[in-house]
Amino acid sequence: MTFARIGAASVLALAAGLAHADSTVRFWYHFDNADNPMDALVAEFEAANPGITVEAENVPWNSYYDQLYTAIIGGSAPDAAMVKMFAQPRLVEMGALEPIGDKLAEWDGAAGLQDNLLDLTRAADGNQYYLPVQYVVLYLYYRADMFEELGLEVPQTCEDFRAAAQALTRDTDGDGQTDVWGFGFRGAKGGHDHWASLTLGREGVGLQDGLTSAAGVAGTQFVADLFRTDKVFPPSAPNDGFQEIIGAFKAGKTAMTIHHIGSANGMVEALGDKVAAAPVPECGGGRWTSFGDESTAVLSSAEDKDAAWKWIAFLSSEGNNARFNEATGQLPVVKADSAGWTLHPQRFVEATVDSLPFAHLLPDSAATADFVNTVWPTAMQRVLTGAITAEEMNAEIAALFDD
Amino acid sequence: MTDLSLSRPAPAEAPVPRALARRVLPYAMLSPAVLVTLAIVFLPMVQTAWMSLHDYVLFRPNDFTWVGLKNFRAALADEVFWISLGHTAIWMAVTIPAQLLLGLVTAMLLNQPFPWRGLARALIIIPWALPSVVIALMWVWIYDSNYGIANEFLLRFGLIRQAIPWLADPSTALGAIILTLTWQGFPFFAVMILAGLQSIPKSYYEAASIDGASAWNQFRHITLPGISGVIMTAVLLRLIWVANSFDVIFVMTGGGPGYATYTLPLYAFVKARTNLDFGYGSAIAVLFTLCLMGVVVFYLRRSLKGAE
Repeated sequence: MTFARIGAASVLALAAGLAHADSTVRFWYHFDNADNPMDALVAEFEAANPGITVEAENVPWNSYYDQLYTAIIGGSAPDAAMVKMFAQPRLVEMGALEPIGDKLAEWDGAAGLQDNLLDLTRAADGNQYYLPVQYVVLYLYYRADMFEELGLEVPQTCEDFRAAAQALTRDTDGDGQTDVWGFGFRGAKGGHDHWASLTLGREGVGLQDGLTSAAGVAGTQFVADLFRTDKVFPPSAPNDGFQEIIGAFKAGKTAMTIHHIGSANGMVEALGDKVAAAPVPECGGGRWTSFGDESTAVLSSAEDKDAAWKWIAFLSSEGNNARFNEATGQLPVVKADSAGWTLHPQRFVEATVDSLPFAHLLPDSAATADFVNTVWPTAMQRVLTGAITAEEMNAEIAALFDD
Repeated sequence: MTDLSLSRPAPAEAPVPRALARRVLPYAMLSPAVLVTLAIVFLPMVQTAWMSLHDYVLFRPNDFTWVGLKNFRAALADEVFWISLGHTAIWMAVTIPAQLLLGLVTAMLLNQPFPWRGLARALIIIPWALPSVVIALMWVWIYDSNYGIANEFLLRFGLIRQAIPWLADPSTALGAIILTLTWQGFPFFAVMILAGLQSIPKSYYEAASIDGASAWNQFRHITLPGISGVIMTAVLLRLIWVANSFDVIFVMTGGGPGYATYTLPLYAFVKARTNLDFGYGSAIAVLFTLCLMGVVVFYLRRSLKGAE
């Protein structure tokens, strides 16, 4: 009798275990930071949701979207993933995203998100596929000590910026060679933000309109002249990516660069009070900076969409979102987490907030992915190395968005 | 022995099944390998050729339209295709002879008796044994314009006055990557040629010395003919590998600056994997395969004629 009871209990326990262990959420994300809190967040989520296992995979940023698109086509897509706005039109066109509007309407956490973020991340077809998880705004990092040493003011316009960059480019040890450059320009993939800040603020200029106008061409020419004539970028600028521009700034090889608050703590660790921040300069009558968005989404191929939703909602909930952003070094999307935010020195938070009024997303177009991944980097590198003119580069980009 | 003879089938029935078995057996033994090759080599090849005749952009999975030779016409009118083809020709024409020459010199040196020769022979294989990505990252640091050891050396020896951005300057980028690949690939030639050198009987050299042949004549008339078969095979293999290899380029420059280090396999890869345009990417791959096939056939004909 006892054996029978134990047997029955074991079968029940086994059955209960099986029933609970059948939901797995495969989640893809990209963190540059080696200090990755994902395991702790996963463990906490699994403890609170006993039926769900989360397999979180950190996919290298450089090939993140190549891998994501290929996985979707190959039928091995994750159930949920970190995604940026520029990829949304293409993902929607592929039918890869699951609308989450209904779930958002029922979710208590939605009201706690920063104003406007859900509107900003809504797709062109009117559906909501993205749940914001972090945001940043790009601004100008500069070496306050070098500016002070040379009696320079923080540049307010492109002209000031050029003059400052020229003054800051110098030979500091007297060996006849330049060892500090005025600006660390990102010429490789991802550097479109730098070019855009110096080009798209100009009156009547946008990626989808006015790029081939005199003002648009003047923006690209301005960038080319800074490198080719003024020589205020390091000679390696055409190939420099994120690691190079941040590394060179921290090492004192460049005096200014453009990036977001995600780099602030690393910069302060390397340079202390010598690093400061300000909004990007006004060029040709206006300012333009990039709104760096990051959301999570449930993929339409997900086996258990409810479980995938629960996981992404967990990441954008009060407390969890703060911990997620402590690791990425970006800013939380939850108002309550933002209010008590002390992770970054105030001057960088201020530069972010001051830049918000003229922060823009890239166009909601299927061409944006090609613009970011191949067309911009190749064309910019060719302009910087003198293979094509500024007019030709702008015409190439305009043609891409016209198609 | 007795058992074996007993187990043989009766002589009257023997000829037919045994002859059949003998005919079928080789095919049966080969078929797994052939089937696997068909599945993982020929099927994708046919699929690539088929895709190249369609408009097929991966993020529009339902749009697979027959366009005939449109992608090929577009490729032949595409400036980047010709730039990439030119770079591919330079890439192959410089890398393989450089590897061969360096490999030949290394093999000759390693064939001489000297202390720790075994260790030297083992160490020389290291560049060949390292993964391409590791090599690429290592050389990116060597070439770095701020911290790279290449600039540091040249500056210290007074050979240059300003650090050179080797990989960011279109006039040096391809050359810099070719040097990297030469370094990676020469051990293959060294090891192959060394094996060839060891198969040449010592007595040939002794006889030549007695007849008063100079070192150069010994090399020309004994060493070179002795290793020509090995060199031919090694060059053929490297020709195909080097032509197809783009991983080192991809990691070091991604094809940049601009199109300065684009080769055809890299262009096909970027078009297909980054732009997701599999139709056009496949067309470039097919065109490249045809070019490479032409080069290989030409090389084989010349080499075989030379061998005769």
